[in-house]
Amino acid sequence: MTRERFISEVRACQGRLRRFLASLCGDAALADDLAQEALVRAYVSSDRFIGNFKAWVFRIAYNCFIDNLRRVPAPSVSLESPEALHVADGAASDSSFRHEELRRALTKIPEKERTVIVLHYFEDLPVKDIASIMQIPAGTVKYHLSVGRDHLKQHIRL
Amino acid sequence: MKDIEQYLRENAPEMPDEGQFMIETNARLNAVEGIKKTVDGERRNGRIALIVALAAGLVLGCVITLLVLFMPAPSAADSSAFTKALEALQDKQGFLYGAIAVFAVALGIVSLRKKESVL
Repeated sequence: MTRERFISEVRACQGRLRRFLASLCGDAALADDLAQEALVRAYVSSDRFIGNFKAWVFRIAYNCFIDNLRRVPAPSVSLESPEALHVADGAASDSSFRHEELRRALTKIPEKERTVIVLHYFEDLPVKDIASIMQIPAGTVKYHLSVGRDHLKQHIRL
Repeated sequence: MKDIEQYLRENAPEMPDEGQFMIETNARLNAVEGIKKTVDGERRNGRIALIVALAAGLVLGCVITLLVLFMPAPSAADSSAFTKALEALQDKQGFLYGAIAVFAVALGIVSLRKKESVL
């Protein structure tokens, strides 16, 4: 793949890629950093790429997110603890989220449930594509969707 | 169920302008391209060094073999230590070729690894 073609493909899907990562990590700046890391990885191996560019880049981005989770483990402080509440009150909400409640609710559910919810509802991807991105069976995706919705409902006032 | 699904679809986050993101991405890709070029160049040089080392080993092996084969047969009078060594080498030609080939390959691999470790 030439540099020009790679850039044009990136331009077409960068908004959704960044939104996907921002929804996963709840931090737009970190999401942009992870998106760039994913795009660099994709560019390095773009010679061997065949198929759906968007699904491929999303899979790499998801792996970058997982790697980042392993590198920087989540803080041990509970989101319900006084420390967390204090930080949440003082810190400016991520402007990419119209509803801070949703952002916080997403950070409270397990990573796999969060990923399937984000890909299905924010990115409008079918279960088959999500299974391909996360490299898990379609049945498992459906299970995570169902459980994830239930978990989210506990944290969101509808 | 519909409520939560509708809520999620209606509240997908929106990302800020792509301009800065694309500028930073392009800068990272330029850096990667530079590294890629350097690595490719070093790999090419390594391969050339390996081929040269192999060729040198082959030529050296041939020259030594010819020398050994075309040396005049030693007479009983000038049977010096050097001549005796050459005779011993002539008896073990197979080992000699093997050793030279192994040396050449090792030399090539070492030079290749050295260049890679510098990167």
